[in-house]
Amino acid sequence: MHHTSEFEPQILAFCCHYCAYAAADLAGTFRAQYPTNVRIIRVPCSGKVDPMHIMQAFEHGADGVLVAGCLEGGCHFLEGNLRAKRRVSLLRQILDEIGIKSDRLRMVNLSSAMGQTFANTVTEFTEQIRELGPSPITNNIPRGKLR
Amino acid sequence: MNVISLIIDERKVEIEEGSTVLDAAHKAGIQTPTLCYHKALKPYGSCRVCLVEIGRKDSSTLQASCTYPAQEGLIVRTSTERVIHARTIALELLLARCPDSEEVQRVAAECGVPDTRFTKKDEDCILCGRCVRMCEERMGRAAIGFVGRGSKKEVATPFGSPSDVCQVCGACDFICPTGRIDLSRVSTRKPRPILSEYNERLTSRPAIFIPSPQAVPNLALIDREHCARLLGRPCEVCKEFCEAGAIRFDQQEKKQALDVGAIILAPGVDRFDGAGRSEYGFARYSNVVSNIQFERMLSASGPNEGEVLRPSDARHPSSIAFIQCVGSRDAVTGNKYCSSFCCMAAIKEAILAREHHPDTCVTIFCMDVRAFGKGFDRFYERAKQEYGIEFVQGMISRVVELPRTKNLRLSSVPEEGERLDREFDMVVLSMGFQPDEDLRRTAEKLKLDLNEFGFCQTTPLDPVRTSRDGVFVAGVFQEPKDIPETVVQGSGAAACALELLSGARGTLVTEKIYPPERDVTDATPRIGVFVCHCGTNIASVVNVNRVVEVAEKLPFVEHAEASIYTCADGSQEHIKEIVEEKDLNRILVASCTPRTHLALFRETAREVGINPFLVEMANIREQCSWVHSAEPEAATRKAIDLMRMAVARTTRLTPALPEELPVTKAALVLGGGPSGMTAALSLAAQGFQVHLVEKENELGGGLRDLRYTLEGDDVASFRERLTRAVTDHPAIELHLGSRLTGIEGHAGDFSSSVVSRDGNSIEIKHGVLIVATGGKKLKPDQYLYGEDARVLTQRELEARIAAGEHVAQNGDAVVMIQCVGSRDEERPYCSRVCCAQAVKNALKIKERSPDAAVIVLYRDIRTYGFHEIAYQKAREAGVLFFRYDPEAPPVVSAGKDLMVEFDDPITGRRRLLRTDLLVLSAGIVPGEDNTEISDLAKLPLDEDGFFLEAHLKLRPVDFASEGIFLCGLAHSPKFLKENISQALAAAGRAATILSKDSLVVGGEIAWVDSTKCVSCLTCTRVCPYGAPTISFSDPHRRIEIDLAKCMGCGSCAAECPALAIQLHNFLDSQISAAIMAMMGAK
Amino acid sequence: MIVATRKNVRELKQLLAPYQRIAVLGCGTCVTVCLAGGEREAGMMASALRMASRLDGVEKDIRDLTIERQCDDAFIDEAWKSLDEADAILSLACGAGVQALAHRFPGKPVFPGVDTQFIGILEEQGIWAEKCIACGHCRIGSYGAICPVTRCAKHILNGPCGGSHDGKCEVNPDTDCAWQLIYDRLKAIGEEYRMEEIAPLADWSLSNEGGCRKIIREDQRI
Repeated sequence: MHHTSEFEPQILAFCCHYCAYAAADLAGTFRAQYPTNVRIIRVPCSGKVDPMHIMQAFEHGADGVLVAGCLEGGCHFLEGNLRAKRRVSLLRQILDEIGIKSDRLRMVNLSSAMGQTFANTVTEFTEQIRELGPSPITNNIPRGKLR
Repeated sequence: MNVISLIIDERKVEIEEGSTVLDAAHKAGIQTPTLCYHKALKPYGSCRVCLVEIGRKDSSTLQASCTYPAQEGLIVRTSTERVIHARTIALELLLARCPDSEEVQRVAAECGVPDTRFTKKDEDCILCGRCVRMCEERMGRAAIGFVGRGSKKEVATPFGSPSDVCQVCGACDFICPTGRIDLSRVSTRKPRPILSEYNERLTSRPAIFIPSPQAVPNLALIDREHCARLLGRPCEVCKEFCEAGAIRFDQQEKKQALDVGAIILAPGVDRFDGAGRSEYGFARYSNVVSNIQFERMLSASGPNEGEVLRPSDARHPSSIAFIQCVGSRDAVTGNKYCSSFCCMAAIKEAILAREHHPDTCVTIFCMDVRAFGKGFDRFYERAKQEYGIEFVQGMISRVVELPRTKNLRLSSVPEEGERLDREFDMVVLSMGFQPDEDLRRTAEKLKLDLNEFGFCQTTPLDPVRTSRDGVFVAGVFQEPKDIPETVVQGSGAAACALELLSGARGTLVTEKIYPPERDVTDATPRIGVFVCHCGTNIASVVNVNRVVEVAEKLPFVEHAEASIYTCADGSQEHIKEIVEEKDLNRILVASCTPRTHLALFRETAREVGINPFLVEMANIREQCSWVHSAEPEAATRKAIDLMRMAVARTTRLTPALPEELPVTKAALVLGGGPSGMTAALSLAAQGFQVHLVEKENELGGGLRDLRYTLEGDDVASFRERLTRAVTDHPAIELHLGSRLTGIEGHAGDFSSSVVSRDGNSIEIKHGVLIVATGGKKLKPDQYLYGEDARVLTQRELEARIAAGEHVAQNGDAVVMIQCVGSRDEERPYCSRVCCAQAVKNALKIKERSPDAAVIVLYRDIRTYGFHEIAYQKAREAGVLFFRYDPEAPPVVSAGKDLMVEFDDPITGRRRLLRTDLLVLSAGIVPGEDNTEISDLAKLPLDEDGFFLEAHLKLRPVDFASEGIFLCGLAHSPKFLKENISQALAAAGRAATILSKDSLVVGGEIAWVDSTKCVSCLTCTRVCPYGAPTISFSDPHRRIEIDLAKCMGCGSCAAECPALAIQLHNFLDSQISAAIMAMMGAK
Repeated sequence: MIVATRKNVRELKQLLAPYQRIAVLGCGTCVTVCLAGGEREAGMMASALRMASRLDGVEKDIRDLTIERQCDDAFIDEAWKSLDEADAILSLACGAGVQALAHRFPGKPVFPGVDTQFIGILEEQGIWAEKCIACGHCRIGSYGAICPVTRCAKHILNGPCGGSHDGKCEVNPDTDCAWQLIYDRLKAIGEEYRMEEIAPLADWSLSNEGGCRKIIREDQRI
């Protein structure tokens, strides 16, 4: 099932160790299939996801970023996911101001048992990013000029 | 065995003698298409799809690679023009024969053959013979075979009549590539799928299976009763696929003798199986499911990935009915007890069903809604108000399936008098607990007493102790209960066992010695990259060699290699050798998930002197090969990216040196009521020093108000025994008339100041704190309480009964009003104990004066568990129960006579009762010191003012802050027996710290760069554990992080406006490097 | 502390349009503490501006750095070289800091990168409230150290007015009545008699929209 467009989005996902990352593992155990575009960075808690790193990813051409934490009320660290949610909503506003569609950044909440949901989320997000097309940043990244 | 070598597509391949050319090609990673070939079957060579060209140009021949033996020096070409041409013809012929077969279409498309030029027929069998071979070779049956020749050839049973040797195992169907096997043409018997226990028999499973996706250990097991091999057939197909060679058919049950000092029984209890309530049609009507089946349906890992579909037609039900108390509170089945969990489970499931499909209407049919637990009533109110779930009081007497729609008609005669007759798309039966025969046998073997229902016999004052010394019980086996109470009893039973075993503690521990760690402070990173095939789990999708090739060229990578199983014992030894040989100081393993395997590789690293924090993993199995199996090329690119990101991180890893903080082996228990005393005694019995601080001048707390339990125990003598034991115990130091005025420090090392009433302040050092400060009885301000001497509370009534007073003569009337000051706007929680308390006192009155009228006005009777028996007894004794509407509560007036007026929902009439006594079931309210203690020790309170535990279900006695525990009424209203369980649990949890000499802290924790910190205090506000604090000993007042309190979530690091905080092992530089590695990978 | 808030990226992009090399300068004091202009914010803003310019097809050299305090030359001089190399400076400090920079670099454009709001305190994480309007004549000694000029919607010096209801202000019922607070506080310190002292008439030609100003940042709340 190959998409007609040539564009393969680069998507970064920050997954919290206890829930979202475990859900991603469970998706594997189920052999749930999803697009290959996502690269996961494991963090202890979605509350650790630093806005600077999300900005960094976008600045260097990421087409989409997912922040995946535990279900609300189910955070291993009590409320890190709620901090992450507030942070993501501010960042979405900043992205809009910059001129990058805020839909490219999304927060999702998963329990460790939601392997299939993880796969579905990634599939759906990848499709959405594919439709949005390449990040406008990508067109003009200066080579070798990394902050 | 001899190894021979041959050349395939110009590549030299070495393989064992006796292999086929196809085996050799696979070994070389050359994907040759196949159709009739199957790993578990003898090669047959019928489909001609795996053709290869063998020999030199002039003398070459086309051969089926699956049957052609590999020989020394053989020259094989797999994709020459001649091969492609012949394969195309073969596939076109197959396509013409079976144009609708998806498998043929798939293989053809892979080989670039989109369509056939021949005339299409509509066969569905390609005569590959897989079914025939499977049946004969593996199942040892030969129920089917080929008959006829040429164009008449087909797979059939002898003489075309049903086979009598066929076992209806379905192996032929399983292995058929075109799905054309019709078992009904092979045998007259019906195939029976093996139903999945995990999915509550809603789906089927194989005979070799992993019990659940999150099973521990996550290993497969063979179902003895269904495995063809163990039933005497050759089979062993699974063995062909297990590359680890882990499958053993000769494993036997082993009996082991264990020397133990205590036994804890936590076997759980089976569920009611529907028998005895056949009028509900369970197992007869497809759209009638059990509550647990419905739970599976709602689960994302369930049969339909969380979609609720009717079993009959896989359609979303638009209306669902829950029938409560199926096999509970039920004289018909003899299960007279309440199963305690089903009301809340039904409410939760109803809410989830509404969340999944907001159009679904949900109705719950029940007698009472028993939302008695912490926070439960709020949940129940939300279910009604926010989710619009309908609650109908009254039991359903019959469920009938409508033949055409498979909908269900529910009928009953409900409380309100009118006959009920409603139709639903689906029915969920809330089935409760029911002990089974196995449990009875276990109890017999252990010589334990069971109660009349087959649960373990315990006494309210000793809730986890069985009738046999040294044997303890936890969970539902003791009495039906919900999750928090089960977890509590688990820890409580552990505490009791620890009391017995305190002398033997630590005697079986052997300490492991590690070599000194390599100092990497100024060392250049030298990384070893180990890429795992995981048999074929990774290697069949990801080109492992390419991952290694890329790794080798990355900076700081000194060594890269692939191995078949990196986690195997031999591989660990090999990694250690390579570390020594190449002087590596960092290890990266690209294999499975770090969640299961990082600990193993860290251990290996420690054994060779590498700090465990210098080990990293790239997850190329769960998060790559397994989820991208159809895209090997893209999966390989992703695996390379993941590896590159991990190398970038590994380069920047820094070691962590954990610190050992000594533990003060003493506990401070706050509160000298039943909970505090029980916890103190247990800890003292486990061999720890205890400081018991009580603000009153005497021990006892709430026990002083209780006279007897529902079960008949004498509370006064219990209080006396407990008080004496606490007072006499040499390890318990009493601080009566004293209050906590300050607490500092962290788990293992607290320092508290305690001030006595005369103003003397002392400093207490302790390793743990247990908060058992109790609750308070509510003083009612309704129903003329305090104005008329005939109005009193249940507690006051109990005291009068216990004092021998004849509270009601025959002919007198006593009215009791429930939920006084509970479940209202001011206190929207249930006080849990009042229903049983009313029943208890009503029974006492009836015992003495059978002709006194006792009338209970209630909202829901919540006599859960075995309390239900007493409720039934009270009804039998003639106690009258009337429900009242909280919107129109009873009205009490006093003249010469005391009058109670209320609406009777059954007759719909207003009733006026003259009563001699009015007894108010006044609830329990939070202790008056809760706010003060909460501020002092920085412990959270819930919305109602009780202390809030770390997790309502899973950590019911822990606070989020390490080393501080909670029990008794300080936590929430509950019964004495539950308080005792919880106090034991707190003692058990506290012992997990006190039993250690030191706590190892550090690793993934935050630290502050004091040169950057501006002391803005953001971190102190963000941290849920109170780990960052301002250091007043530092002249610059910078922030310090308490190692023992930091849980490593990193919230502070992500918020610090001065970028002064870093979380170890998740440093900004490490994450940033991984992002750059990913983005640079374009 | 001086409390400031983030500026819109678009607005800043326009301000900085003519310049190629831009230094985004964070300040390590008030604006760091109020989470508007510290090292993190400077880094984020620099990144945001780089991206925003790039989307306009302009590749700019935008770098961030943060100094201890922008309202003092001594600290500015620490970063002299980097700042001097820039075509323009975007200061994330308060208005004072911006002007200190302008004074130090007479020939260089300096722009404010935050909106300086008020002098206030953090009430709870994510909520900052104004406590002082820097009126130049501090009289709070007469009011139990609660400023009616800042905190009373009507700036009444002889209060309360008739609109004080259940301790709340009639102008904005979410706000505590400053005069209720003053009374409670005077009572607590035993100086209720001050309520009876009449403060002389003052001329207020300006008002500050209904009591103290407040900043609520949803992303920072707990």
